[in-house]
Amino acid sequence: MKLYLTLITTCILATASYAANIKLQNPSVNAKAPNFTAVNSYGKTIKLSDLIGSPVILEWTNHECPYVFRHYNENNMQNVQKIARDAGVVWLSIISSTPGDQGHVSPDTANALTDSRGASPTHVLLDESGEVGMLYGAKTTPHMYMIDANGILRYKGAIDDIGRGMQFFDASFAEAKNYVSSQIDELLANQSLAINSTTAYGCSVKYKYD
Amino acid sequence: MKKIFLACSLFLCTLAASNPVETGHARASLITNLQDSQQESFYVGVRLEMQEGWHTYWENPGDSGSPFEARWSVDQGVIVENVEWPTPVTIPYPPLMTFGYEGDVVFPFKVFRAIDSDLSSISLDFDFLICADICIPEKASLSLDLSSATPNSMVDAAIAKLPTNFLDTQSVVEGDNLKIRFNSPQSVTKAYFFPRQENLFAYTATQELVSLGDDAYELTVPMLNDEIAYFSGILRIDDSGFQIEEELGSAVGMSLWQAILFALIGGLILNLMPCVFPVISLKVLSFVSMGGDDNSKIRNHALSFVGGVMSTFLSIATALIIIRSTGSMIGWGYQLQSPVVVGILTLIMLGIGLVLLTNINFASGLTTIGSSVQSRNDYSGSFFTGVLAVVVASPCTAPFMGAAIGYALLQPSFATLPIFLALGLGFAGPYLLLALKPEWISALPKPGAWMETLKQFFAFPMIATALWLMWVFMVQTSGDALILLLILGLILGIAIWMIATFKGRWKWIGMLATLLAAVQIFNSLPENTNGLVADASAEQWSLTIESDLQAQNQAYLINFTAAWCITCQTNEKTAFARDKVKEYIKEQNITYIKADWTNRNEEIAIGLARYERTGIPLYIFWKPGMPRSRILPAVLTEDLLLNSIQ
Repeated sequence: MKLYLTLITTCILATASYAANIKLQNPSVNAKAPNFTAVNSYGKTIKLSDLIGSPVILEWTNHECPYVFRHYNENNMQNVQKIARDAGVVWLSIISSTPGDQGHVSPDTANALTDSRGASPTHVLLDESGEVGMLYGAKTTPHMYMIDANGILRYKGAIDDIGRGMQFFDASFAEAKNYVSSQIDELLANQSLAINSTTAYGCSVKYKYD
Repeated sequence: MKKIFLACSLFLCTLAASNPVETGHARASLITNLQDSQQESFYVGVRLEMQEGWHTYWENPGDSGSPFEARWSVDQGVIVENVEWPTPVTIPYPPLMTFGYEGDVVFPFKVFRAIDSDLSSISLDFDFLICADICIPEKASLSLDLSSATPNSMVDAAIAKLPTNFLDTQSVVEGDNLKIRFNSPQSVTKAYFFPRQENLFAYTATQELVSLGDDAYELTVPMLNDEIAYFSGILRIDDSGFQIEEELGSAVGMSLWQAILFALIGGLILNLMPCVFPVISLKVLSFVSMGGDDNSKIRNHALSFVGGVMSTFLSIATALIIIRSTGSMIGWGYQLQSPVVVGILTLIMLGIGLVLLTNINFASGLTTIGSSVQSRNDYSGSFFTGVLAVVVASPCTAPFMGAAIGYALLQPSFATLPIFLALGLGFAGPYLLLALKPEWISALPKPGAWMETLKQFFAFPMIATALWLMWVFMVQTSGDALILLLILGLILGIAIWMIATFKGRWKWIGMLATLLAAVQIFNSLPENTNGLVADASAEQWSLTIESDLQAQNQAYLINFTAAWCITCQTNEKTAFARDKVKEYIKEQNITYIKADWTNRNEEIAIGLARYERTGIPLYIFWKPGMPRSRILPAVLTEDLLLNSIQ
């Protein structure tokens, strides 16, 4: 009996400490991108491994975040999406906001946002639990990841070189170096990219955490 | 959706310059500590009173966020420096972590102005990101008329709390963790390291603080990977912040190979140190006398000498490992902290001096130094000369040696032995070479009568060394004890005379009587004291003196020394005691501190260990503006010392 109690206690403690230990992973570039499954805004289950064969770009987003707002308001994000889609890249916009928090949307709102903003993601993924976000170590919106056709993670970081700081709100997108659109050719060639890791800037991802 | 438009409208609208300004979730104002219109430098502070639950960011905002941007408009002749960041707090947003400020905060900016410039208005466009769960960029256009502004005490209060002091840290990388070691005289309950660089550390991971005993602490900071050469940031210790900065992989990360190389060079140079030179010269002389001899004989003598040196170094290393395993802090030359050992060494030096001077020949043992023709086949003589050379070398530290031995003694035992062997090899290097190439002996001068004269002359450096050791002995004990030692010297003299003069039974009776007298006197020698030896001209050293003086922005020079350390004593005379040096130290208001290790002292041993040293001399210099204190060269001259502290 005593043994059972001990075992049960251990199990409970182990579970508790596991829950408290949820943390951001830090996937390495030029290594296999972690596989994941998520539901898109049409209720369809999307699996990364099914998409491999084409390059894939992940965009963490939150339409109420001022950084994301400016990227969409000035058509910057849409332009990058178009360049990528035209090149045959699969574009996944991922929302990791937890219900009740900023940026969380219903599937219908997600689709309405895509339409109203003239965006062209292949899928909008609703990651309410934050699992995909934490698997990739997504910290900010926007936060970008590029995966080549062989499933190798080639880039993680900021969308451009404007960087952290208030200058973002005055900076010109036209003059900035966009790390995603400027490196799509190398991504298509399944090559290691010249710039493969930068510090993402923006709002925090509104993860579920308790 | 409403939030966006709120954020947006605030962002787009430009507010007319005023003071204070409501920005939406904060009130921003410009305040100053300018007292009178003649001040050439003063501070202007941006005060941000944030609503409850809202925060803004430090220069490294952490996982997300942004530091503010300040654009000043000032008149000609006025310069506003960059912000001096207050110590941030952690603002966890699980699983993310950000660094910033909450509540009511003042960001101080130092202002310089040409004295003939008019005091007029100073204006600022202040853009900042303010966040609760959500983030909103807000801005304030502020203006302050300096000619009419009243000084606000909040500015000075903010300056007083700025993390301006540098704290010395000794850090190591273990796996994916950076372990920051620091000392604090006050007991520490909480510590947190805010890194200035991005992409080096896992911000969300917990930083564990452990006490290492006394006032030493270790903070474990998880890193993203183990590649780190340099870090800087703010270390918050309870409620105060300190600047820390460290280059890793220099002295701290000395590799085993580097330590071995240093030991080899140090050992080689040790031959020339004043305490060894006489004994070594005698050995060289004995080789000279072998000129023209059979090569194998020369080789065997050289090898015997090398054997003596190596086995002694090996014994010392073993002894040190054993003593260390008991937990004692030990160091090179530590044996000289015992007056008994100093007394014995005094007698050995004196004995050698007498033997050389009186030309007495003994059958074997120590006295075959500078051996004459008869004892040439006695290799044990060469062996013991090797032993003796190492024994008398123990008060000396040659350049390079300190760092190598420090490394050896602070590393696990498997690293200790190779370093000591390398030291021995370096020391015995020239003789090893002679063993390999005995024919090179012909390059030395031809033997002759001059050798006898020179040998007698070498008695004087030996007696001089004995005199120096007597002084060490007196510093350690008392004048009464010194008299006892001198009496022992006299008995030794009689004994040598008896051994040389009498034959058979009388010789042995004489030796026995001497031995008995010696034991009797040694028993009455006092135990050494454990205190610090004071010096009126210098400040007393203590474990906390460095952090205390750095906190007061006071430049200092620390001299770790001991009466038995001849290199230290030489440096005292050739550098520290010089008028130019004394004047410079006074002129520049440098606090001169002496840590005298003549007697055993655990605190000084710990102080040395902070610099990864176990022996002396060690000289430490710091002045305001230096991120960390500097270790000066082990062998100093007046110019060298002045250059290194200028």
